[in-house]
Amino acid sequence: MLAIGPWQFLSCFGQQFQPEKDVGKDLDLSFLPEETSGNDASNANVTQDSGVFDACRQEESAETDPKKVAMPGASTFCPMTPVIPVAESSGIIPMLQNIVSTVNLACPLDLKSIALQARNAEYNPKRFDAVIMRILEPRTTALIFSSGKMVCTGAKSEELCHLATRKFARVVQKLGFPAKFLDFKIHNMVATCDVCFPIRLEGLLLDHQQFSSYVPELFPGLIYRMVKPRIVFLIFVSGKVVLTGVKERREIYDAFENIYPILKGFRKQ
Amino acid sequence: MAIWGIGDVLALPKVQCPNHPDAMLVEDYRAGDMICPECGLVVGDRVIDVGSEWRTFTNEKATQDPSRVGDAQNPLLNGGDLSTMISKGTGAASFDEFGNSKYQNRRTMSSSDRAMLNAFKEITTMADRINLPRNIIDRTNNLFKQVYEQKSLKGRANDAIASACLYIACRQEGVPRTFKEICAVSRISKKEIGRCFKLILKALETSVDLITTGDFMSRFCSNLGLPKQVQMAATYIARKAVELDLVPGRSPISVAAAAIYMASQASAEKKTQKEIGDIAGVADVTIRQSYRLIYPRAADLFPPDFKFDTPVDKLPQL
Repeated sequence: MLAIGPWQFLSCFGQQFQPEKDVGKDLDLSFLPEETSGNDASNANVTQDSGVFDACRQEESAETDPKKVAMPGASTFCPMTPVIPVAESSGIIPMLQNIVSTVNLACPLDLKSIALQARNAEYNPKRFDAVIMRILEPRTTALIFSSGKMVCTGAKSEELCHLATRKFARVVQKLGFPAKFLDFKIHNMVATCDVCFPIRLEGLLLDHQQFSSYVPELFPGLIYRMVKPRIVFLIFVSGKVVLTGVKERREIYDAFENIYPILKGFRKQ
Repeated sequence: MAIWGIGDVLALPKVQCPNHPDAMLVEDYRAGDMICPECGLVVGDRVIDVGSEWRTFTNEKATQDPSRVGDAQNPLLNGGDLSTMISKGTGAASFDEFGNSKYQNRRTMSSSDRAMLNAFKEITTMADRINLPRNIIDRTNNLFKQVYEQKSLKGRANDAIASACLYIACRQEGVPRTFKEICAVSRISKKEIGRCFKLILKALETSVDLITTGDFMSRFCSNLGLPKQVQMAATYIARKAVELDLVPGRSPISVAAAAIYMASQASAEKKTQKEIGDIAGVADVTIRQSYRLIYPRAADLFPPDFKFDTPVDKLPQL
């Protein structure tokens, strides 16, 4: 979900707005549309999950940021890394590990028959009142409720999450229920990354007391709750960082760019 | 006669002689008068005698103090409860023919804050089990009152909030107790106390200092019966280990326990990992892990003036 128009690249460089000037001696931006469509929940045209991110931040977001761009096919994908001074970008890209999404199949389901007929489905109504179904490709798990609503977890990218949810819906459909695919929405994304240096958590706690919570007796990591974008970091002494609590991939990248200079300030010597 | 004094900030009626406003009035307690010493004018009349109603003598059976009527008031915490109730009768006349007491109603003495009173009782019980001093109990009560009045944690069990307040109070007084120690005197799980702890810090918008290894040394070492030299050595070892960053990411309690193990093994009073783990609330595998991290630099960690019973190279290697 990368959408940087040419004018935004220029602004990053602090240059004046000159749309007719050819930026791309290094870059070929011709494949990017002039205007990108707004955020569409059912838009399946998302980038594949190579995770390559052009680390240019949008300093002034006066206009609403276009969220998606139709990228060319995976085989011809080339990384877009514009020339940016190293000091500005961290060069580290958080990798997505888990995405939680929900969808409404819009028909009441008989969980018992689903559990009996489908493979890889477990149903224990005394323990939890939903069918737990798993598929192998993409490796995901779904909780299917009798109201027709479904929760899908375990996918490593938005595209895979969408695909997996559709596969689960297909299974339910094949079992004889008139399943539809309404209101697909991603609710949470979890990403991890490594800043590759040890971090002084006590120092970080002292300086950012109103955002941080570090109780070594309870949990070895520092829990940092950033306000904008609203995201939670788990920061460990080894330098590994977990980001969670967001619904958009862009927020993860923005938030990591926000925290990276802070973490560099608390590097252990 | 009440005269408003100039510059009297509290604006209480101040009794003064009209002719001599600066004169200190003399109290004549026998007649109940306030008399001006300059001119002899009786200024205040019918002054209520605040002395005690009856004379008391100390005797051996001093179980009751006749000059007290009722419990000591707790004005900070209760909001000044002045309600009274009829107690159970003592004489024979208070029971009717079947042996039931004639006046039965003993309920709802202070309906507001009944839960708070219960919580204070629970706090006192918990603190008593680990012999906490009065100042910590008072601080805990104050914290509980603040949290209770805020009502942001209303859904949580009062005992859980009380336990978390006790933990915070110990921290704030500079004598932190581990969560496991608070767990031992409370019926609430460590997880729930931890959750309430974080919620209370957010609700009261306070923060607490980070725990250090030295906070627990005196308590753990005296519970183990280790002499002062070993305690001081263990404190030094733990502090040095943290300074040299030999144990990154380890809980300070585990590091403290490992330091006590190393110090005790180097002295005449050797304690096993199990014993130390029991006292500190740390698993003995955890002590083993932390000990393995500090063992390689053992020679640098001991204080320079330490008398070794077992030399550094003979320390157990786990």
